[in-house]
Amino acid sequence: MANNDASNELLNLWKSQEPQSISLSAKELRDASSKLESQIFWRNSREYLGAAIVVVAFGFYMYKFETVLLRLGSGLTIAGALFMAFHLFQKGSAAAMATDLESKSCVEFYRMELVRQRDLLLSVWKWYLLPFVPGLGLFLLGMLQMVLRQPASHLHYGMVALWFGATFAMCAATFVLVEWLNRRAAREIQKKIDSLDQQRQATD
Amino acid sequence: MPSTQSQPDDLYNQAVAAHGPALSRLARGYEFDPEDCRDLLQEIHLAVWRSFRTFDARCSLRTWVYRVAHNTAASHILHSRRMKSKTMISLEEIEEQGGIAAKDDTDRSIEQSQMLERLFALIQCLNPLDRQVTLLYLEGMDAASIGDVTGISSGYVATKIYRVKAILAERFRNGGNHGKQ
Repeated sequence: MANNDASNELLNLWKSQEPQSISLSAKELRDASSKLESQIFWRNSREYLGAAIVVVAFGFYMYKFETVLLRLGSGLTIAGALFMAFHLFQKGSAAAMATDLESKSCVEFYRMELVRQRDLLLSVWKWYLLPFVPGLGLFLLGMLQMVLRQPASHLHYGMVALWFGATFAMCAATFVLVEWLNRRAAREIQKKIDSLDQQRQATD
Repeated sequence: MPSTQSQPDDLYNQAVAAHGPALSRLARGYEFDPEDCRDLLQEIHLAVWRSFRTFDARCSLRTWVYRVAHNTAASHILHSRRMKSKTMISLEEIEEQGGIAAKDDTDRSIEQSQMLERLFALIQCLNPLDRQVTLLYLEGMDAASIGDVTGISSGYVATKIYRVKAILAERFRNGGNHGKQ
């Protein structure tokens, strides 16, 4: 009884609020819709621009360097960037605005969004990291080969080993770190999905 | 029930006339900061308007509008970096903890605005699903209608509502002093 009294009082208080109530005109709605689409276009454009910079830079290396390893490495890196851009093009437009807002109940929609985010995080290595591994690996080997072609009198093997080792370790560490962070975030999302499923099973 | 032939603009106007204030309160339940709240509210209005392109009258206008609004707000929370870093808990966890301690429990004559502020603080620490149930309950919807919007069985919604009532009573008894005399 006391619970009901307290919550009825709050229900009245809640309803008595006078929040800003807005109503958008047809023009405002269409403008907002166009603005949203334009924001999505520019957001995707920024990502394509990143891929374009990679293509231009490694295209220049392909032209500039003469060894097979460096040219092949550059070519594969360009291919990796184009693959990534294609993947973004495919996925980006679909994720422009949340879909199924009306056809799914809140619990179904929430689960669907969690699953989508988890899968996106788990697949990052496939479309964001892996495509660059062969190209950058070969490019690095090509750089090493170029350095080792210098006359022996100009070479300091210790420094070369250090440079190669450090560069390789830095690339590997970046890849591992990105993957580790994504997996950790995906595990947290999975916990939420499991908890939601448990709740649903308990009530069915 | 609106005709399925109605244009999105007409349905939108109808929805705003009937549920506009409720949508504003809902947005405030997700974003307390006035500017963020206004942005979210606009996002909700836009989503509601866009959704009417496919409105098929299989459910009531109210259920449709609330589904779109809550799903838009849940998506907003999931994509917001600021919100991602925030820990959200369930009604059950709040109950186990014996309610969330308020900063000042000694003032018996707490102002209504303070009560509302505390209510929003409570709502905003809830996970999306419990937040949806709580907000719909505060709008005066019954368990079956909340079940239609959220997709949870009405029996489970009733259990959730029971918890919401207990937590609210615990937190706001005697105008907010939690019954501590």
